[in-house]
Amino acid sequence: MSTRVDPSLLQEIKKYGEIHVEDCFNCGNCTAVCPLSNSNTPFPRNNIRMLQLGMKDKLLESIDPWLCYYCGECTITCPRQADPAEAQMTMRRWLTAQYDWTGLSKKLYTSTAWSIGALIIGALIVILLALGLHGPLVTNQVELNTFADVHMMHTADLILAALLGFFLLSNLFRMYLFTFPRGAQNPPPLSIFITEAWQLVLHMLTQKRFGECEDNKRWINHLILVFGYGTMFVLIVLFLSWFQTDELYPIYHPQRLIGYVAALAIIYGSGDALIGRITKKHQMHRYSQISDWLFPILLILLAISGLMISAFRVSGLPILTYYTYVGHLVVMMMLYICIGPMGKWAHLLYRPFAVYFQAVKEKAEEHNKAIAHAPAPVS
Amino acid sequence: MDENKLKADALVVGGGIAGMQSALDLADQGYQVILVEKEPSIGGKMIMLSKVFPTLDCASCITTPKMSAVANNKNIRILSYSEIQSIQKNGSGFIANVLKKPRFVVEETCTGCRLCEYACPVDIPNPFDLNIGAIRAVRVPFSTAVPQIAVLDMDNCILCGKCARACPVDSIDFLQTEKEVEIEVDTLIIATGFETTPIDAKKEYGNGKLHNVIDGLIMERLLAPTGPYARVIRPGDGKEPESIAYVQCAGSRDETLGVPYCSRICCMYAIKQAMLIAGSLPMADITIYYMDIRTFGKGYEQFYQNAQAMGIEFVKGKVAKISEDENQNPVVRVELIDENSQIIERTHDMIVLSVGMIPKYNPSQVYGVNVDEFGFVKSPTPNLSSTKTNQPGIFATGASTGPMDIVDSINSASAAASSAASYLESVRNGK
Repeated sequence: MSTRVDPSLLQEIKKYGEIHVEDCFNCGNCTAVCPLSNSNTPFPRNNIRMLQLGMKDKLLESIDPWLCYYCGECTITCPRQADPAEAQMTMRRWLTAQYDWTGLSKKLYTSTAWSIGALIIGALIVILLALGLHGPLVTNQVELNTFADVHMMHTADLILAALLGFFLLSNLFRMYLFTFPRGAQNPPPLSIFITEAWQLVLHMLTQKRFGECEDNKRWINHLILVFGYGTMFVLIVLFLSWFQTDELYPIYHPQRLIGYVAALAIIYGSGDALIGRITKKHQMHRYSQISDWLFPILLILLAISGLMISAFRVSGLPILTYYTYVGHLVVMMMLYICIGPMGKWAHLLYRPFAVYFQAVKEKAEEHNKAIAHAPAPVS
Repeated sequence: MDENKLKADALVVGGGIAGMQSALDLADQGYQVILVEKEPSIGGKMIMLSKVFPTLDCASCITTPKMSAVANNKNIRILSYSEIQSIQKNGSGFIANVLKKPRFVVEETCTGCRLCEYACPVDIPNPFDLNIGAIRAVRVPFSTAVPQIAVLDMDNCILCGKCARACPVDSIDFLQTEKEVEIEVDTLIIATGFETTPIDAKKEYGNGKLHNVIDGLIMERLLAPTGPYARVIRPGDGKEPESIAYVQCAGSRDETLGVPYCSRICCMYAIKQAMLIAGSLPMADITIYYMDIRTFGKGYEQFYQNAQAMGIEFVKGKVAKISEDENQNPVVRVELIDENSQIIERTHDMIVLSVGMIPKYNPSQVYGVNVDEFGFVKSPTPNLSSTKTNQPGIFATGASTGPMDIVDSINSASAAASSAASYLESVRNGK
């Protein structure tokens, strides 16, 4: 099979992160030292070799970067200090941009101006909508549902969720197309996609591979963050009419308790990531692109503003409650526009799907071998 | 002449193969040379080796005659067990202050009969065998040591006095103290040699704590006929190894160790040792894990091909980790670069780390010579006169100037001697 070489590939990918893989002399230390790499998916050296040679199609087909959870062992032990872990991270950003058909992802990853622009647009959309659609501001008591009608908000949430889903799933479909290129010999049969689907659920819920890295504290913290974020996402998209209420429940009531616990989990998880990026103690946090900063910052702002709405509501401060509510929506829109389906947020599907696709590939290979070695039918 | 004040034409610092060669070349031209050696015997690293590549000559059969030639040359005076303290400029020459460490044995009368050694009740790890064998606290350092004079290890001596009673010439002197010697010379050659990168430097290779992982220099002692066991056994439990692996670049070309350069000798010594093991343990499997095999010298490539033809297995891939199984067998983890990037774990009986070369001594403070970022002496004109330093009259040679094998060290030593001689002549003839 011939391979087309793109000499500009490395220069292109360098826009996505601080990498210097030219230093690599392909000794294989990184691949052998990696706790997650194995003979079926030997990375990161293979990916770095593709980068050095400009094998763009091969790199697009590779899902190995998504199987890396950045423990940094390879970078710490690299004899050339070529930083393979950061190269994997950079390849993940590049792959995200390749999966995204709108082309926005590339702009957001490679241009600070575009990122700031996206934040401003997100804020403007919410502010304009709020100016146009808000209800009367009741000031003698907190009536959030009068200010922002809960049914209208729920509809807006569903529209937003549908948009997010549309972009995310269409990008995911492109990931599928890259991973299983057309015209390949013996594509995996549908039955394998179905029988391996449990992998998808398992890895999406547990991020189990993350725990196989040497330091599994980061995995626990990430799990806490995912739990908090997932809970909030479900509450707001599916149960907003129950969650956004003007009735004041006691603190142990699920409506308040679930909200508080989830918000604290988000603050803990994203705070941990932020502190890591500020102190740069872990390999993973040494280089931060704008998207790496924005994701935890916006998440933590989202949780804090959510808690503030509740606090103002309980304290009976109507105007502050309404303004904070709008602020909360502003942060949410910034998050989804700037790092949503075109950015880092999308890893919530790319990572489990990469594990799933890899399992399918391996099963298909076994399947093909079994066919090749099957005894010829007796005539 | 006062024994505390010496005068000579040239001072050579370091009595390894390079220093000895420089001293001999100068002495043969009629110059008076003083050779200062830090250890109790001259001979350096080369006298510890088993055989040398690519000719497979016995190392001590070449080194011992050189050592004797130095000792018996009327123009050379050896100051063993001595270290340079300071160097002052003295016109176009130098005055060196040398500290002579106490041997607790009177050099002038000791005959090297070894009766003290046989009488001594204290066994200590033998530094000449890199601490894997044992030797007495008072002893002649090794069988072919030059000078053949005993040395007493006061740190381990129990002061029982048995050696003093055994000595037929009353040479044991427990009260000996260090002595300062002032040497006036016109030129100076630095030949301070190298050290191997420490075996415990890399955490992935077990921090030096794995039982059956040794370095290349220890393997030299195991293979040498004068070695501690006179056979190759693994140090952990004395078992005869059936599978021996070499891990190349274990101390070179590795930024994490601060040694990004190639040490040049490791490929060749690993191949040489593999051949020697194939001779002494014909049934053993020998594997060499390498990143690149660099056989740059004359006859070296043929040597490598011979090793391949002998059945030594060469595996391309940098060993990332060494662990240990329950039988203390070392296990390597490596990506096979040439074979579809398979990641394998393989158990061997014994592993030799091909450690690299780092400078033994940094002469920049005492001599005022420039060194490079790794501590090797830096020549201002490396391509024109590689043994010159930035100090006129001070030359450097051998592995003190950079990683070098024996062949190159001897060439470099003769070059340094030649440069030093022309410096002497130019000074004396008023330039």
